[in-house]
Amino acid sequence: MTGYLYEKDLRQMKYNILTSTKHDEAVRAIARRLGMSNAKLRMVMIRRFDMSLLENLESRWQMGQQHADDDSDPVAKDLGCELFTRFVPLVDPRVMQTICNETRAMTGNESSRDEAIARGKARIREAILS
Amino acid sequence: MKKTVDVSIPLGPVHPCWKEPVRIKCETAGERVLRTEVELGYMKKGIERIMRGRPWQEVMFLAERVCGICSVIHNMVFIEAMEEISEIAVPPRAAYLRVIVNELDRMASHILANFSYCYTIEHETLAMYLLNTRETVLDNLERLTGSRINTAYMIPGGVRFDLLPEDAAAMLADLSKVEDEMRRYTGMFETGPLIALRSKGIGVMDREEAIRAHTVGPTARASGVVCDLRLRHPTYRELGFTQVTRTEGDNFARIMVRFQEVFQSIDLIRKCIETLPDGPIRGGGLCRAGETSYAGEAPRGELTYSIKTDEYGRVVDIAIRTPSIMNIEACAHSMIRDVTSIADVTSTFISSDPCIACNER
Repeated sequence: MTGYLYEKDLRQMKYNILTSTKHDEAVRAIARRLGMSNAKLRMVMIRRFDMSLLENLESRWQMGQQHADDDSDPVAKDLGCELFTRFVPLVDPRVMQTICNETRAMTGNESSRDEAIARGKARIREAILS
Repeated sequence: MKKTVDVSIPLGPVHPCWKEPVRIKCETAGERVLRTEVELGYMKKGIERIMRGRPWQEVMFLAERVCGICSVIHNMVFIEAMEEISEIAVPPRAAYLRVIVNELDRMASHILANFSYCYTIEHETLAMYLLNTRETVLDNLERLTGSRINTAYMIPGGVRFDLLPEDAAAMLADLSKVEDEMRRYTGMFETGPLIALRSKGIGVMDREEAIRAHTVGPTARASGVVCDLRLRHPTYRELGFTQVTRTEGDNFARIMVRFQEVFQSIDLIRKCIETLPDGPIRGGGLCRAGETSYAGEAPRGELTYSIKTDEYGRVVDIAIRTPSIMNIEACAHSMIRDVTSIADVTSTFISSDPCIACNER
């Protein structure tokens, strides 16, 4: 985006939003689910999300827990396909779809299901940090 | 946000259509707005931090200073949260008086929101008519509470002032006047061809998107989401409250929901005055230690106070989730995304009734 003379560095304000009581709880829960460190996740969120999305993070996470990824596709549910693309948009939907399809294929092959899901989650982490 | 287009247009922080400072950065391709980014931080109050460690008697006044437009509901939700922690009962008369004040505040807020929208789409005549009618509503708020904005009307176990019979009669007469005027303005809005051009089919948010972003209040109800917390409130249930819903999800629907809710508020106040129970307006009670998360329906939607208190009634920890947090985010990332004209950004943003003071606490 074009740099304006009055463009401000928003990192400190974004960090303050993410470390308030409820947001901190949400960040910790998301990091736990993804198997990432809290600090790294915060860094990614500060870089990618605007301030209003960060403010709404807790609500989006709550709604994601209730409505994202129904039981019809267990692999998508374990990976959080809808959760991490539509509710908390950390991963590009096309990338997530590829990861989900490949994980689904792996669970059908010789690999054990747990191993396939673990690999899928590792690829999601890579996609988030890239 | 990565640069993907040739033109980035910043709107605000100081803009003629904004009531409060906020900056929206729009990435455009020609007239089409591809996406937007919201920049806050121009009026951060740090009010949650100020509240921590203070007794409830002080926090009560601070709570209604979160937002000047919907100050009554901040007062009400904080007080009802304290009552829940301390198991304090409210006399029936006080519960009804709370509804009257809350609905007057809702009317003032909805009329101001619709004024802002009409002003933004350059229908200044209707905007000024609405602002004039809002004065009558605020006069009635003053008649009952002694103040037009920060009323501090509710206290744990009741309310501060009773409604005298002569004031009730004057209020009913004023409400009839407001109802007649609002019926005329709603007709003007509903049938205006230029208003329809700027409002119908603009800034559409579907039901799924509204749920995903946890949109609340009239913004969500205009997209067909059932989400009015008054449906769960015991006094509103006694009064037979039903929710207003529309399904179009566009700017027009959001404004019309607010118009319809103004009439609903008038009916609720009338019902309260007609069936106002006799008895005291204050009960007893002592604020105690405890923890709760309590939500109420503000004019803009669900308002949640998560409070932890100690044995002296001091607020140890508090987190306030205001409706604008959800609505502004949904507006910036769903309603405004892919609008066909940059001119629709301001009107769509205002149609979601954004409150930056609430958002930044």
